[in-house]
Amino acid sequence: MRGAGLGLRILGLAGLLVLVAAAFTPLPNRLNAWMAGSPQLESADAIVVLGRGGADSDGVLTNRSLRRVLHGVELYRSGLAPLLVLSGTGEETGARSVLVQGLGVPAAAILEVSSVHTTREEAERIGQLLLPRNQRRILLVGDPIDMPRTRAVLERVGFAVLPAPTAATGPSLPEGRLALLRDITTELVGLAYYRVTGRL
Amino acid sequence: MTPDARTLAPIFIFGLTSLGAYLVGAGLRGLRPAALSEAMRDVLEALGLGVFFLLVNLAVGAVVVLGARRLTGHFVSIYLLSDVTLPILSLVQALVFQHWRERSK
Repeated sequence: MRGAGLGLRILGLAGLLVLVAAAFTPLPNRLNAWMAGSPQLESADAIVVLGRGGADSDGVLTNRSLRRVLHGVELYRSGLAPLLVLSGTGEETGARSVLVQGLGVPAAAILEVSSVHTTREEAERIGQLLLPRNQRRILLVGDPIDMPRTRAVLERVGFAVLPAPTAATGPSLPEGRLALLRDITTELVGLAYYRVTGRL
Repeated sequence: MTPDARTLAPIFIFGLTSLGAYLVGAGLRGLRPAALSEAMRDVLEALGLGVFFLLVNLAVGAVVVLGARRLTGHFVSIYLLSDVTLPILSLVQALVFQHWRERSK
Protein backbone atom coordinates (compact mmCIF):
# COMPACT_ATOMS: atom_id res chain seq x y z
CA MET A 1 0.00 0.00 0.00
CA ARG A 2 2.96 2.26 0.74
CA GLY A 3 4.33 1.63 -2.77
CA ALA A 4 0.93 2.43 -4.24
CA GLY A 5 0.90 5.73 -2.31
CA LEU A 6 4.31 6.69 -3.70
CA GLY A 7 3.20 5.73 -7.20
CA LEU A 8 0.08 7.87 -6.86
CA ARG A 9 2.13 10.83 -5.62
CA ILE A 10 4.47 10.52 -8.61
CA LEU A 11 1.45 10.29 -10.92
CA GLY A 12 -0.11 13.32 -9.22
CA LEU A 13 3.11 15.33 -9.54
CA ALA A 14 3.39 14.38 -13.21
CA GLY A 15 -0.22 15.41 -13.79
CA LEU A 16 0.37 18.73 -12.05
CA LEU A 17 3.53 19.42 -14.07
CA VAL A 18 1.73 18.64 -17.33
CA LEU A 19 -1.11 20.96 -16.28
CA VAL A 20 1.27 23.81 -15.49
CA ALA A 21 3.37 23.28 -18.64
CA ALA A 22 0.24 23.12 -20.81
CA ALA A 23 -1.48 26.15 -19.33
CA PHE A 24 1.39 28.53 -18.63
CA THR A 25 4.05 27.78 -21.25
CA PRO A 26 3.96 27.77 -25.07
CA LEU A 27 4.41 23.97 -25.15
CA PRO A 28 0.97 23.27 -26.74
CA ASN A 29 1.58 26.03 -29.31
CA ARG A 30 4.94 24.53 -30.27
CA LEU A 31 3.37 21.08 -30.66
CA ASN A 32 0.56 22.63 -32.70
CA ALA A 33 3.01 24.29 -35.10
CA TRP A 34 5.09 21.12 -35.33
CA MET A 35 2.05 19.02 -36.27
CA ALA A 36 0.94 21.59 -38.86
CA GLY A 37 4.19 21.35 -40.81
CA SER A 38 4.79 23.81 -43.63
CA PRO A 39 1.78 24.94 -45.68
CA GLN A 40 2.04 24.28 -49.42
CA LEU A 41 -0.30 26.80 -50.96
CA GLU A 42 -0.02 25.88 -54.64
CA SER A 43 -2.43 25.30 -57.52
CA ALA A 44 -4.54 22.19 -57.09
CA ASP A 45 -7.55 20.41 -58.61
CA ALA A 46 -9.71 20.99 -55.54
CA ILE A 47 -9.74 22.50 -52.07
CA VAL A 48 -10.94 19.95 -49.53
CA VAL A 49 -12.39 21.39 -46.32
CA LEU A 50 -12.73 18.62 -43.77
CA GLY A 51 -15.62 18.46 -41.35
CA ARG A 52 -15.13 19.35 -37.73
CA GLY A 53 -17.67 19.34 -34.97
CA GLY A 54 -20.80 19.61 -37.12
CA ALA A 55 -23.36 22.34 -36.62
CA ASP A 56 -25.94 23.16 -33.98
CA SER A 57 -29.60 22.38 -34.65
CA ASP A 58 -30.07 26.00 -35.73
CA GLY A 59 -27.36 25.59 -38.37
CA VAL A 60 -24.61 27.51 -36.58
CA LEU A 61 -21.21 26.02 -37.31
CA THR A 62 -18.70 25.28 -34.55
CA ASN A 63 -15.74 27.63 -34.23
CA ARG A 64 -13.36 25.18 -35.88
CA SER A 65 -15.72 24.26 -38.67
CA LEU A 66 -16.18 27.95 -39.39
CA ARG A 67 -12.45 28.67 -39.37
CA ARG A 68 -11.84 25.89 -41.83
CA VAL A 69 -14.53 26.87 -44.26
CA LEU A 70 -13.45 30.53 -44.22
CA HIS A 71 -9.87 29.46 -44.96
CA GLY A 72 -11.21 27.32 -47.82
CA VAL A 73 -13.08 30.30 -49.25
CA GLU A 74 -9.94 32.41 -48.95
CA LEU A 75 -7.95 29.82 -50.93
CA TYR A 76 -10.72 29.57 -53.52
CA ARG A 77 -10.78 33.33 -53.96
CA SER A 78 -7.01 33.26 -54.43
CA GLY A 79 -7.65 31.12 -57.49
CA LEU A 80 -5.70 28.11 -56.23
CA ALA A 81 -8.37 25.58 -57.29
CA PRO A 82 -11.64 25.61 -59.23
CA LEU A 83 -13.52 23.37 -56.78
CA LEU A 84 -14.38 23.59 -53.10
CA VAL A 85 -15.21 20.25 -51.46
CA LEU A 86 -17.12 20.54 -48.17
CA SER A 87 -17.37 17.44 -46.01
CA GLY A 88 -18.93 16.62 -42.65
CA THR A 89 -22.30 15.73 -41.24
CA GLY A 90 -25.44 16.64 -43.17
CA GLU A 91 -26.11 19.73 -41.03
CA GLU A 92 -22.50 20.86 -41.26
CA THR A 93 -22.18 20.61 -45.04
CA GLY A 94 -25.59 22.26 -45.49
CA ALA A 95 -24.66 25.20 -43.26
CA ARG A 96 -21.25 25.49 -44.91
CA SER A 97 -22.71 25.44 -48.39
CA VAL A 98 -25.11 28.29 -47.57
CA LEU A 99 -22.26 30.27 -46.03
CA VAL A 100 -19.77 29.89 -48.90
CA GLN A 101 -22.40 30.74 -51.49
CA GLY A 102 -23.20 33.84 -49.47
CA LEU A 103 -19.49 34.67 -49.65
CA GLY A 104 -19.57 34.53 -53.42
CA VAL A 105 -18.52 30.98 -54.29
CA PRO A 106 -20.78 29.77 -57.15
CA ALA A 107 -22.87 26.66 -56.46
CA ALA A 108 -21.28 24.94 -59.45
CA ALA A 109 -17.87 25.14 -57.75
CA ILE A 110 -19.09 23.42 -54.56
CA LEU A 111 -19.10 19.68 -53.97
CA GLU A 112 -20.67 18.33 -50.78
CA VAL A 113 -19.65 15.12 -49.07
CA SER A 114 -22.20 14.70 -46.31
CA SER A 115 -23.12 12.10 -43.71
CA VAL A 116 -19.53 11.14 -43.05
CA HIS A 117 -18.43 10.66 -39.46
CA THR A 118 -14.79 9.58 -39.46
CA THR A 119 -11.69 10.75 -41.29
CA ARG A 120 -11.46 7.44 -43.09
CA GLU A 121 -15.06 7.73 -44.31
CA GLU A 122 -14.37 11.28 -45.45
CA ALA A 123 -11.27 10.21 -47.38
CA GLU A 124 -13.06 7.32 -49.08
CA ARG A 125 -16.08 9.41 -50.11
CA ILE A 126 -13.91 12.28 -51.35
CA GLY A 127 -11.85 9.72 -53.28
CA GLN A 128 -15.00 8.31 -54.92
CA LEU A 129 -15.97 11.84 -55.89
CA LEU A 130 -12.70 13.25 -57.21
CA LEU A 131 -10.42 10.43 -58.30
CA PRO A 132 -12.64 9.18 -61.17
CA ARG A 133 -12.47 12.74 -62.52
CA ASN A 134 -8.66 12.54 -62.35
CA GLN A 135 -8.57 15.24 -59.70
CA ARG A 136 -5.77 14.00 -57.49
CA ARG A 137 -3.99 17.12 -56.38
CA ILE A 138 -5.82 18.65 -53.44
CA LEU A 139 -5.32 21.47 -51.00
CA LEU A 140 -6.22 20.03 -47.59
CA VAL A 141 -7.83 22.46 -45.16
CA GLY A 142 -7.88 21.30 -41.56
CA ASP A 143 -6.63 22.24 -38.12
CA PRO A 144 -2.84 22.09 -37.69
CA ILE A 145 -3.07 19.12 -35.34
CA ASP A 146 -5.16 17.15 -37.85
CA MET A 147 -2.61 17.37 -40.63
CA PRO A 148 -0.43 14.29 -39.95
CA ARG A 149 -3.33 11.83 -39.78
CA THR A 150 -5.69 13.31 -42.36
CA ARG A 151 -2.90 13.86 -44.84
CA ALA A 152 -1.75 10.25 -44.48
CA VAL A 153 -5.32 8.91 -44.82
CA LEU A 154 -5.98 10.96 -47.97
CA GLU A 155 -2.63 10.01 -49.51
CA ARG A 156 -3.43 6.38 -48.86
CA VAL A 157 -6.66 6.79 -50.84
CA GLY A 158 -4.61 8.12 -53.76
CA PHE A 159 -4.43 11.90 -53.44
CA ALA A 160 -1.42 14.18 -53.72
CA VAL A 161 -2.00 16.35 -50.68
CA LEU A 162 -0.91 19.97 -50.25
CA PRO A 163 -1.38 20.96 -46.59
CA ALA A 164 -3.24 24.22 -45.92
CA PRO A 165 -3.69 24.34 -42.13
CA THR A 166 -5.97 27.00 -40.68
CA ALA A 167 -3.51 28.53 -38.20
CA ALA A 168 -0.34 27.30 -36.58
CA THR A 169 0.21 29.32 -33.44
CA GLY A 170 -2.89 28.51 -31.43
CA PRO A 171 -4.30 30.19 -28.35
CA SER A 172 -2.22 32.26 -25.93
CA LEU A 173 -4.35 32.06 -22.77
CA PRO A 174 -4.19 29.19 -20.25
CA GLU A 175 -7.70 27.83 -20.85
CA GLY A 176 -7.23 27.74 -24.62
CA ARG A 177 -3.81 26.11 -24.28
CA LEU A 178 -5.23 23.40 -22.02
CA ALA A 179 -7.95 22.69 -24.57
CA LEU A 180 -5.32 22.59 -27.31
CA LEU A 181 -3.20 20.07 -25.40
CA ARG A 182 -6.31 17.93 -24.87
CA ASP A 183 -7.00 18.04 -28.61
CA ILE A 184 -3.37 17.24 -29.45
CA THR A 185 -3.50 14.25 -27.12
CA THR A 186 -6.79 13.09 -28.67
CA GLU A 187 -5.32 13.45 -32.16
CA LEU A 188 -2.13 11.56 -31.28
CA VAL A 189 -4.22 8.74 -29.79
CA GLY A 190 -6.27 8.75 -33.02
CA LEU A 191 -3.09 8.60 -35.08
CA ALA A 192 -1.84 5.65 -33.02
CA TYR A 193 -5.24 3.93 -33.38
CA TYR A 194 -5.16 4.36 -37.16
CA ARG A 195 -1.66 2.93 -37.32
CA VAL A 196 -2.43 -0.04 -35.03
CA THR A 197 -5.61 -0.92 -36.97
CA GLY A 198 -3.80 -0.67 -40.32
CA ARG A 199 -5.70 2.37 -41.61
CA LEU A 200 -2.47 4.20 -42.39
CA MET B 1 -2.96 43.99 -20.32
CA THR B 2 -0.37 42.13 -22.42
CA PRO B 3 -0.92 38.44 -23.34
CA ASP B 4 1.96 37.42 -21.05
CA ALA B 5 0.42 39.30 -18.12
CA ARG B 6 -2.98 37.75 -18.80
CA THR B 7 -1.38 34.30 -18.92
CA LEU B 8 0.36 34.80 -15.60
CA ALA B 9 -2.59 36.47 -13.84
CA PRO B 10 -4.04 33.17 -12.49
CA ILE B 11 -0.62 32.20 -11.07
CA PHE B 12 -0.27 35.60 -9.40
CA ILE B 13 -3.74 35.36 -7.81
CA PHE B 14 -3.06 31.76 -6.78
CA GLY B 15 0.22 32.76 -5.15
CA LEU B 16 -1.34 35.70 -3.37
CA THR B 17 -4.25 33.77 -1.85
CA SER B 18 -2.00 30.80 -1.00
CA LEU B 19 0.26 33.13 0.97
CA GLY B 20 -2.80 34.61 2.68
CA ALA B 21 -4.10 31.16 3.56
CA TYR B 22 -0.70 30.22 4.99
CA LEU B 23 -0.56 33.33 7.16
CA VAL B 24 -4.13 32.85 8.38
CA GLY B 25 -3.56 29.13 8.98
CA ALA B 26 -0.23 29.47 10.77
CA GLY B 27 -1.02 32.71 12.61
CA LEU B 28 -4.69 32.85 13.47
CA ARG B 29 -5.67 29.19 13.41
CA GLY B 30 -2.46 27.83 14.96
CA LEU B 31 -1.87 25.21 12.28
CA ARG B 32 1.54 23.49 12.35
CA PRO B 33 3.76 24.64 9.43
CA ALA B 34 5.46 21.23 9.46
CA ALA B 35 2.14 19.56 8.64
CA LEU B 36 1.94 21.51 5.39
CA SER B 37 4.35 19.20 3.55
CA GLU B 38 2.29 16.20 4.70
CA ALA B 39 -0.86 17.92 3.43
CA MET B 40 0.81 18.56 0.07
CA ARG B 41 1.85 14.94 -0.10
CA ASP B 42 -1.78 13.89 0.49
CA VAL B 43 -2.95 16.30 -2.22
CA LEU B 44 -0.43 14.87 -4.69
CA GLU B 45 -1.75 11.42 -3.85
CA ALA B 46 -5.33 12.55 -4.49
CA LEU B 47 -4.27 14.13 -7.79
CA GLY B 48 -2.52 10.91 -8.76
CA LEU B 49 -5.69 9.02 -7.97
CA GLY B 50 -7.56 11.53 -10.14
CA VAL B 51 -5.20 10.87 -13.05
CA PHE B 52 -5.66 7.15 -12.51
CA PHE B 53 -9.47 7.47 -12.53
CA LEU B 54 -9.25 9.62 -15.67
CA LEU B 55 -7.19 6.98 -17.48
CA VAL B 56 -9.65 4.27 -16.41
CA ASN B 57 -12.62 6.42 -17.49
CA LEU B 58 -11.02 7.06 -20.89
CA ALA B 59 -10.24 3.37 -21.40
CA VAL B 60 -13.71 2.23 -20.37
CA GLY B 61 -15.28 5.03 -22.43
CA ALA B 62 -13.33 4.01 -25.53
CA VAL B 63 -14.44 0.39 -25.15
CA VAL B 64 -18.07 1.50 -24.67
CA VAL B 65 -18.00 3.81 -27.72
CA LEU B 66 -16.33 1.28 -30.01
CA GLY B 67 -18.58 -1.50 -28.68
CA ALA B 68 -21.71 0.62 -29.23
CA ARG B 69 -20.62 1.31 -32.81
CA ARG B 70 -20.15 -2.38 -33.47
CA LEU B 71 -23.26 -3.64 -31.67
CA THR B 72 -25.78 -1.03 -32.80
CA GLY B 73 -24.34 -0.11 -36.18
CA HIS B 74 -24.84 3.56 -35.29
CA PHE B 75 -22.01 6.03 -35.21
CA VAL B 76 -20.99 7.19 -31.74
CA SER B 77 -18.23 9.80 -31.67
CA ILE B 78 -15.06 9.04 -29.73
CA TYR B 79 -14.80 12.81 -29.18
CA LEU B 80 -17.44 12.38 -26.45
CA LEU B 81 -14.52 11.37 -24.26
CA SER B 82 -12.70 14.66 -24.73
CA ASP B 83 -15.38 16.57 -22.83
CA VAL B 84 -14.00 18.81 -20.10
CA THR B 85 -16.36 17.32 -17.50
CA LEU B 86 -14.57 13.96 -17.53
CA PRO B 87 -11.37 15.14 -15.78
CA ILE B 88 -13.47 17.05 -13.24
CA LEU B 89 -15.64 14.03 -12.50
CA SER B 90 -12.52 11.87 -12.28
CA LEU B 91 -11.12 14.21 -9.65
CA VAL B 92 -14.39 13.99 -7.70
CA GLN B 93 -14.13 10.20 -7.83
CA ALA B 94 -10.56 10.42 -6.55
CA LEU B 95 -11.44 12.72 -3.65
CA VAL B 96 -14.36 10.51 -2.57
CA PHE B 97 -12.19 7.41 -2.80
CA GLN B 98 -9.35 9.10 -0.90
CA HIS B 99 -11.64 10.20 1.93
CA TRP B 100 -13.34 6.80 2.03
CA ARG B 101 -9.93 5.19 2.39
CA GLU B 102 -8.95 7.60 5.17
CA ARG B 103 -12.15 7.01 7.12
CA SER B 104 -11.81 3.26 6.78
CA LYS B 105 -8.44 3.23 8.60
